[in-house]
Amino acid sequence: MTYVIYFYMKILYQTRKKRFFLSMKSVKLHSPLSRLVNYSLAFLLLFSLNLFAQEGDAANGEKLFKANCAACHKLDKKLIGPELLKITEKRDLEWLKAWIKDNNALVASGDKLAKEVQESNPAAMTPFPQLSDSDINDILVYTNGAPVAATTVASTEVDPGVELGKQIFKANCAACHKLEGKLIGPELLKITEKREHSWLKAWIKDNNALVASGDKLAKEVQESNPAAMTPFPQLSDEDIDNVLKYLAVGDVQPAAVATTTAGSEEIFNKPGIGILPSLAITILAFLLLSIIVAATTNKKVEEGEEESESMLKSMFFNPFLRFLTLIFVLLGGAWMLFAWLLQIDVNEGYQPIQPIAFSHAVHAGDNKIDCQYCHSSAKHSKTSGIPTANVCMNCHKSISEYNGELFDGHTKEDLDKEIQKIYDAVGWDKENVKYIEGYQQKPIEWVRIHNLADFAYYNHSQHVTVAGLDCQKCHGPVETMHEMRQFSPLTMGWCIDCHRTTKVDMTENGYYKNIHDQLAKKYGVKEVTAAQMGGLECGKCHY
Amino acid sequence: MKNILKITIALAFLITLSSCWGDKTKPNYQYMPDMYKSVGYETYSQNPNYANGMTTQTPVDGTIARGHVPYDYENTNEGYEAAKLNLKNPLEVNEANLANGKKMYDIYCISCHGSAGAGDGELVKRDKFLGVPNYKDREITEGSIYHVIMYGRNMMGSHASQLTAKERWQITMYVQQLRTELLQ
Repeated sequence: MTYVIYFYMKILYQTRKKRFFLSMKSVKLHSPLSRLVNYSLAFLLLFSLNLFAQEGDAANGEKLFKANCAACHKLDKKLIGPELLKITEKRDLEWLKAWIKDNNALVASGDKLAKEVQESNPAAMTPFPQLSDSDINDILVYTNGAPVAATTVASTEVDPGVELGKQIFKANCAACHKLEGKLIGPELLKITEKREHSWLKAWIKDNNALVASGDKLAKEVQESNPAAMTPFPQLSDEDIDNVLKYLAVGDVQPAAVATTTAGSEEIFNKPGIGILPSLAITILAFLLLSIIVAATTNKKVEEGEEESESMLKSMFFNPFLRFLTLIFVLLGGAWMLFAWLLQIDVNEGYQPIQPIAFSHAVHAGDNKIDCQYCHSSAKHSKTSGIPTANVCMNCHKSISEYNGELFDGHTKEDLDKEIQKIYDAVGWDKENVKYIEGYQQKPIEWVRIHNLADFAYYNHSQHVTVAGLDCQKCHGPVETMHEMRQFSPLTMGWCIDCHRTTKVDMTENGYYKNIHDQLAKKYGVKEVTAAQMGGLECGKCHY
Repeated sequence: MKNILKITIALAFLITLSSCWGDKTKPNYQYMPDMYKSVGYETYSQNPNYANGMTTQTPVDGTIARGHVPYDYENTNEGYEAAKLNLKNPLEVNEANLANGKKMYDIYCISCHGSAGAGDGELVKRDKFLGVPNYKDREITEGSIYHVIMYGRNMMGSHASQLTAKERWQITMYVQQLRTELLQ
């Protein structure tokens, strides 16, 4: 709305400006008297404009602001001086002009407000006597946020306190409170309508002190929730005011956000070229190719049929050639047979369908959660454990829906259902944010991917804690896999290759210092490989 | 001609055999898997002997698993206050403990609390987990830190299942160090 008005005013202003120039042109033709009249008329026009809408050139204002004020002031944030967005609504125009020109003079003149403002900030403001009235006017127009509206989305109508409040809310309150929906604490949207402002302030600063002071309501509230609220003495009155402003309004641009998410969803859900059509295209192309080949070869055979037939026949019945072919075929067959035998029970690329479409790429890749956060037993145990659901719940207590980038053709609803599967397993009531009492919990039946044969012993802690290997060394780039698959062949040859080439890391391995030095001397090397330290002994892995 | 046909059939057969494992969602086939499968029940295998069908069982009530240290403070606000006042770190403050504390912190705490403990971990930056406090804004003692790792507090969950008692104390030590650095 203000935006429309702004444009309207701009047009109005420009047309008036033109008229002003027209009158200027006509000046030359007239007598000094009419010139004077014209000047005064033009002046009146400008003056009335100034009075009428405080109109000025915002672009010029921006330039001046950046050159003179921006070192200490920002529009939307405190810097050295206070934020200046919509400062004209707070302070009188004439006062601002006087203040900007020379704030010290204003204070000296006995202006109370000026004194107050000056004392509120330890940094002294530089006087700007070089700025003309119209310059200052332009700057103030700029601070009203018109050009800001053009760049950032709809922040002009919102009280800047709301945005600040949101930041503070996110940093301090959001761990236990949501705007809508209970978390640990109650929901807080429009809490200002339920409780008194001053009570809320006292409560937020130190709820225990409030209860101790004998406030009945406070006692009631505290007893209604088993979780104790953290006191926030570090928040200033202004901070709390801003938070309460934010709570009264809530998130202001849900409409804009909704449209953008809808848009992005559309993009992600758009069916691209799927598997089936591309398969059909390849088959078609193959058919076409084979038809062409068939056509051309047929012709050739027809043309030179007699000669080539006799040639072929003699070649075919040549015993030496037949013998040679037989040997080649047998060798080729044996080679293929061995290739086939060697891949029995080698599960490289095994990618079973898991009960939950858990994405390692989202957890370990995007969110950079350490592998061992979930697979915590890898550091002490033979097995790198599959996390129990309580580990999932450490985060998914508060993350009950998926808001990241969609992948593998899943929709947001699909993925929300995947998170719901954890809640179904452990019995978590996500509306009331607590475990359902007496719920029959059931295990999540993950499908094991990396499965060594029982006759081979492997110990995770030896490789993770002692050798200090990255998980990726064997498991591959898991942080890029949405769906987990076996990356390495896990064959004996693969193990031994690595043992032969890997030098033992001695930086944090004091335990091996003695034997390492002895072996290094024996083999005449600087650094001993895992194999030289006994990593090839049969009994190490097969017993 | 017949020979050629036979040979090609044989070749085709071998080729199909060698690339037989087509469905990657099922494991590849095994030959005589007598010693492949464990006779005993493995950690995550199903187990018909227990009512809930799982091999991994929680400890029987009243027993303490080897290496575990019992923790006497209760998971209540009173327990928290008591731990805050009375619970002391049994470990000596030294390089090794702090180093391992940092190592563990960088795995288990850093995602939310951030590398310096300012409450700006990756999950916070990505708006997944909000309102993680800066350590310097909280009155925390070694007892309360340990208590919170043990049981969790508010939206933070318990991390007892992922860490041993010693590691929890090492993290506590490291968090205290971070807090002193933040307060400076």
